[in-house]
Amino acid sequence: MSYLYYPGCSLKGTGKAYEESLLAVFQALELPVQELEDWNCCGATAYMAVDELRAFALAARNLSLAEQQNKDSGTKTVNLIAPCNACYLVLMKTQHYIAEYDEIRRKIDTALEAAQLRYDGRVVIRHPLDVLVNDVRLEEIATHVRSPLTGLRVACYYGCQIVRPYAAFDDQDNPSSMDRLLRVLGAEVVNWPFKTRCCGGSLTGTIREVGLRLNQIILKEARKRGADVIATACPLCQFNLECFQTDIKKQFGEDLSLPVLYFTQLLGKAFGLSEKSLGLQRLFVPLELAAIEQKGGARASV
Amino acid sequence: MPASEFKSNGVPKIGVYVCHCGINISAKVNIDEVVTFAKTLPNVVVAREYKFMCSDPGQQLIQKDIKEHEINRVVVASCSPLMHEPTFRRTTAEAGQNPFFFQMANIREHVSWVTADGTKATEKAKALIAGAVRRVVLHEALEQKRVSVKSDVMVVGGGISGIHAALTMANSGKTVYLVEREPTIGGHMAKFDKTFPTLDCSACILTPKMTDVRSHPNIKMMTYSEVQSVNGFVGNFDVEVRRKASYVDNSLCNGCGECTKICPVNVRSEFDEGMSMRKAIYRAFPQAVPNAFTISRKGTPPCQSMCNIHQNAQGYVTLVARGKYPEAMEVILRENPLPSVCGRVCTHPCTVACTRAKIDEPINVPGLKRFVADWAVEKRLDYHLPRPKTERQERVAIVGAGPAGLMCAYELRKMGYQAEIFEAQPVAGGMLAVGIPDFRLPKGTLVGEIRKLEEIGVKINLNSPVGQDGLTLKRLHEMYHAVFIGVGAHVERKMKIPGENLGSVWGGVEFLRRVNLGERVRLGRRVLVIGGGNSAIDAARTALRLGAPEVHIIYRRTRAEMPADPDEIREAEKEGIQFDFLTAPKAIHGDRWVTSAEFLKMKLGAPDESWRPRPVPIPGSEFVMPCDDMIVTIGQESDLRFLGNGMSLESTKWGTIVADPLTLETSVKGIFAGGDCVNGPEIVVTAMAAGKKAAISIHRYLNNLNMFVGREQEGAFESNIVTDTEGYLVKKRVPLPAIALDRRQGFEEVHLGYSEEMAKEEASRCLACAECCDCELCQTVCEPKAIDYTMKDSVEKVQVGAIVLATGFKAFDAERIPRYGYLKYPNVFTSLEIERMVNASGPTGGQVSLRSGEKPKSVGIIHCVGSRDETTNKYCSRVCCMYSLKLAHLIKERTGGNVYNFYIDMRTPGKGYEEFYDRLLEEGVHMIRGRVAEVTDWVMTPEEEGKLVIRAEDTLIGVVRRIPVDMVVLSVGLEPRPDADDVRRLFNISCSQEGWFLERHPKLAPVSTFTDGIFLAGACQGPKDIPDCVAQAGAAAAEAMALIDRGYVQLEPNTAFINEDVCSGCKTCIVLCPYKAIAFNLKEGISQVNEALCKGCGTCVAACPSGAAQQHLFTDEQIYEEVEGVLSYV
Amino acid sequence: MQYPPIERKIKYEAELDPGFAEEISSVPGGESLRRCMQCGTCSATCPLSIYMDYTPRRVLAMTRAGFKKEVLNCFTIWLCASCYSCSVECPKQIKITDVMYALKRMAIKERTYPKHFPTPVLAKAFFESVQKHGRSNEARVVTQLYLKTNPFHLLTQSTMGFRLWRRGRFGLKTESICNKRQLRTLLQSVEESDRPKPKGVAVEGGHR
Repeated sequence: MSYLYYPGCSLKGTGKAYEESLLAVFQALELPVQELEDWNCCGATAYMAVDELRAFALAARNLSLAEQQNKDSGTKTVNLIAPCNACYLVLMKTQHYIAEYDEIRRKIDTALEAAQLRYDGRVVIRHPLDVLVNDVRLEEIATHVRSPLTGLRVACYYGCQIVRPYAAFDDQDNPSSMDRLLRVLGAEVVNWPFKTRCCGGSLTGTIREVGLRLNQIILKEARKRGADVIATACPLCQFNLECFQTDIKKQFGEDLSLPVLYFTQLLGKAFGLSEKSLGLQRLFVPLELAAIEQKGGARASV
Repeated sequence: MPASEFKSNGVPKIGVYVCHCGINISAKVNIDEVVTFAKTLPNVVVAREYKFMCSDPGQQLIQKDIKEHEINRVVVASCSPLMHEPTFRRTTAEAGQNPFFFQMANIREHVSWVTADGTKATEKAKALIAGAVRRVVLHEALEQKRVSVKSDVMVVGGGISGIHAALTMANSGKTVYLVEREPTIGGHMAKFDKTFPTLDCSACILTPKMTDVRSHPNIKMMTYSEVQSVNGFVGNFDVEVRRKASYVDNSLCNGCGECTKICPVNVRSEFDEGMSMRKAIYRAFPQAVPNAFTISRKGTPPCQSMCNIHQNAQGYVTLVARGKYPEAMEVILRENPLPSVCGRVCTHPCTVACTRAKIDEPINVPGLKRFVADWAVEKRLDYHLPRPKTERQERVAIVGAGPAGLMCAYELRKMGYQAEIFEAQPVAGGMLAVGIPDFRLPKGTLVGEIRKLEEIGVKINLNSPVGQDGLTLKRLHEMYHAVFIGVGAHVERKMKIPGENLGSVWGGVEFLRRVNLGERVRLGRRVLVIGGGNSAIDAARTALRLGAPEVHIIYRRTRAEMPADPDEIREAEKEGIQFDFLTAPKAIHGDRWVTSAEFLKMKLGAPDESWRPRPVPIPGSEFVMPCDDMIVTIGQESDLRFLGNGMSLESTKWGTIVADPLTLETSVKGIFAGGDCVNGPEIVVTAMAAGKKAAISIHRYLNNLNMFVGREQEGAFESNIVTDTEGYLVKKRVPLPAIALDRRQGFEEVHLGYSEEMAKEEASRCLACAECCDCELCQTVCEPKAIDYTMKDSVEKVQVGAIVLATGFKAFDAERIPRYGYLKYPNVFTSLEIERMVNASGPTGGQVSLRSGEKPKSVGIIHCVGSRDETTNKYCSRVCCMYSLKLAHLIKERTGGNVYNFYIDMRTPGKGYEEFYDRLLEEGVHMIRGRVAEVTDWVMTPEEEGKLVIRAEDTLIGVVRRIPVDMVVLSVGLEPRPDADDVRRLFNISCSQEGWFLERHPKLAPVSTFTDGIFLAGACQGPKDIPDCVAQAGAAAAEAMALIDRGYVQLEPNTAFINEDVCSGCKTCIVLCPYKAIAFNLKEGISQVNEALCKGCGTCVAACPSGAAQQHLFTDEQIYEEVEGVLSYV
Repeated sequence: MQYPPIERKIKYEAELDPGFAEEISSVPGGESLRRCMQCGTCSATCPLSIYMDYTPRRVLAMTRAGFKKEVLNCFTIWLCASCYSCSVECPKQIKITDVMYALKRMAIKERTYPKHFPTPVLAKAFFESVQKHGRSNEARVVTQLYLKTNPFHLLTQSTMGFRLWRRGRFGLKTESICNKRQLRTLLQSVEESDRPKPKGVAVEGGHR
């Protein structure tokens, strides 16, 4: 199966490492991925708040581009990978609304037509987690593990919008795909209640004190449950949780520093891919596996 | 055209009467327009409208017209015939017309209520009336048949509703069959402690009624039974009831309870909601009615079904857990004469199937078997294998004293045959003796167990190779009544590479045999073992013990693909054996003695037929490794030379004997073969299975029984038992102790057995999948001999006039709402669990306590769990508010702690209910209006540490609150029983969307169904509290009795008849008629219906190829006319 | 002595907007608004409700009752980070997040949101950036945001900006798409098709 890939704005900016590690891992798995040509911003949450229809139109353009680009692949359904939770949700929401509301569909169709575009609803939005767990399958992934993450205690943080509101590939209340994936890598998954608790999204920028507080709560719980690292599947979550750690320290006077990696970076590490190819040098808080292994050793002896 | 030949009463004069039904119809349908239209229809003499046609004045209108205008056909356009067809038929009849000259057009349910647009509605109404008018012309005078009614009744479900209905009817002299699925009646109410709002003791008011049921002369209790089929019709139901086997004869059982005392099996008690344990033979609770015991036997447990010789693993594991070792030994020996052998070397397929693996790790079944066997030896337990009841004279020769041969001999002896074994080796045991080194299987144990076999008369001739000095297979075949060949596979395969025949290149089998037979074997510095199976490991570890300083195992695939037992591989590694994976030998060098070997590196390729990746040589990767010895263990084959001389026994090109897989009979009659010499190298237990199979075949052969029938379940099969693995704590396998590495020079056994404590602990992990473990201990203590393992389910047929369904409800499964943490946090309980907890006879003797046993200081009760929720159940379960208050009161009373109720709305309608609510408020129970979002162990404040935090908005204050509590109670709603849909099919009634049984009319016929003679009582019709259930049960009983006491039912004259001119006499209808109501008239050559027997099912009408079979009220022409009428207008 | 100002709290029917509920529930996703039974699950499950002036439940109630002024001026809608917990957990399956969106849009249209309040500003900054380039540039958007709301933040956050930039996570050049014309036509024609329809008319075809 071949995939189209919709990076979204963040993966070209703050989330660069996500894109790098994702593509590196897919290459290691010999999964053919192709970036969607001339994609535009999905509209994210902000756009929805200004003009719903235009938000849908933005997303619809990407959908129809995807169908176009897939034209000569011969396959009917188009698998479009959207690694950013926001993009993933908006694209999916658009599909749902187009399907549920005649009027929206009509308006979007006319608009697309005006722009010499059309959308037949053949695109399937896929999150990398979904692809890895359900298409590639864990058995296959296991065979690529070169340096297992033994002893590493990971708090899996899925964020809001992968499973909410459209639980397309995982359980809404207690998603498990990332857990299962990381276990295959030999990591130990900590059991915590915040798998899908909201990081506040753009609040860190807008209503700072609130945004910081939300992230402080999450970091604190992760540390409390003995996590060595938080694994994220969304550029905004990663940004919020990692980059504001110093601000959080200032604000709440307690040091909650904790590495926050994309799950794809952990995959890459287990596959034995190079630091650079996984964009690990872009982290604010680096992940010292060696130190953790010692700690792990200590923990084991306890 | 049919319309012209008027049925009876002369030229049709039709009166059409359009009903407003208040505004129900007239609001949508333009009545006047319809009436004027009706007037224009053919044969219509009068057409009128009236506000309520069903009212007396309305009916009088019709009767007046019949008299004055000589109306002889009546059409009423109003509501559904279900409502008023009887009414208007009576009207017609009272005016002197036959009631069937009437037709109804439904312009309410089918028109005004379901059509948005008025004009459209009016048009549709016209069309329907047009149809009715055309149809009624063809109506004919019919007689209604009366059928007498059976006077007995049946009540299905023994909860409070069923009990009350049964008693009511029994008291009025009816014979009542009370069918209950469980072993006791009482239903949910029997589980409760108190009842709201009066707080009187549930048991105190229920048990008297239960005992009344038992002692009532008119009630026939059918407990532990289920209705299997229902036939017939109102007043005359034929019901088949399946009486499940309880394996205890109630007529003999005196309820002494000795059986439960001795029963070793503990399973979760359904009655205590799994919070306490019960035995496999049990009585739900002390006041159970009937006061008898039941053995729950669910079938063959996975461990037993997957074992090739079906050892009752659950049986002896359970007995070990209770410290009953001799009994355990007895259970083992039933199927297996070699316990300590199998306990050591069997690769135990049983554990692969073990249900415990779903929780943590499978039970160490072989370890426990070994423990019992060893214990028997240590304790000098003088055990014996079962001796035959009767001796038989037939003699059977067995070639080979390996596991297959020994097992075959054992099974034959059990049946009384004379078994004689011929073994080539100086020792008995086959591979067990010469193939497996002492440090895994000490010779002593094997010898001991073989002696036990000899004790029961198995004759073993050692050093007697068949095929040499006169002792030929041919001879055996002549001298004995049957022969079994189980010679195993004792020849090592060749690698077919140069240098293989050099000195000190050993075949694995030969090497091990020599060592095992005590020959002196010298090895050099470096020994290379080729292969990845158990024998490779055995050879390598043996070599090490013979003093070889460096031993390598060389395997062409990787560790993952090694067939050897992982534990063994680990031990070997510990002992310092080196593994070279992805390596295959190419050539062996040396003159006379091997000096070195050349190898090729491999890489894994695509899977081969064995589903393992095929090793692919890497060109140019050759390398040489010097060595002093090489042991080749790449698989064995059989030495079949002895088959020769005069016997035409077929064998395959792989050097195995051809034998029928089902019977193991060879190409020669009377000679059977099994084990490695038929299947190639396999594990001990499969060989034993072959021996057992052969014994069965030989028995059949010697008694000329069918060799093939009913042998499917020999050997391993899938168990069909499903076991609930929820809510068990993880408890890993007790590791088998082993001797220290420094003690492993000699051949001392590496793995020590379990200690008694370890064994008990390990055994106690068993989940008792089959519940009863067939240890048969209860039989030994039952004085009245009431226990009968051979009991079978039976079917009882009863005839009843009416049936009352009172099948009750199921509590909502709280796990479906993960955010409330049920089964995630141990101190989250369901309301039903708390009901048991607060019950004096419950698991905690009435104490409200956390799993830790201590009293909760604060408790949160969450309402509406599984109610008023689009994602689970939309409806309100009606009882939760009140029982939550009750529980709140009881919990506060028992703990004195803080109790919080989280509710959406309080619903306390009913006598004394609101007052009870007031009382609770006064008692200081906290009431928080807000639906709980989640129960979590995420703490924000020190006070919350170690507590469960409930997050909810206090909607009356408008603030989100976090409330830390010790215990959470989920007030689960009521749901239809999971099998409600099957039951509804069975009784041919309907269900509402949610799955509750549907009443005939929500207001006017709340206990009747759309099927005459079947009535509803209690919660099976919808959520209800006890008083409502009882009231409804009374109503249902009354309705049923009203039907029966009338003594007859009037049947629709919808019987079938046969148009004699058209009938071709094909007799199709005769075979199909379920009531044998059709006979063949030889003289006329046609079929004829006996109206008395016909039930009007219409089967013949549908089946008749010539259209001769017709049905009154629904003749083809009537239906066509109506359709045409409708269409002609539209 | 000092005491807090005494407020007179009473609502006259005349002060309410009877059409408000209809307006909101006629927006795609708003249909189920009237089903609300005020259980408060939304508020309790919302990670931000604790900062809101009205809890989501109250916002729903007020919307249904026509408290247009209060609702369009409240912080609640701007605090919603659209994590969809409420929508998922709502026992009546009301699409609360979408209702919040509808309210945000109306607030922006009617310019009733609080002055210098960042969220709507960010929303618009972002909106325009995308409108212009087809893609958003985090750096620019954020800078604009702070300029418009609280220039002081530019300083406090400059360090972070620097750290990001050093790690190549803060592209200063604006990404943009090639076929801007297509995008423009697309958005324009939607706009035309979206001319405000008469109040209170439910979406044709309705909810399928």
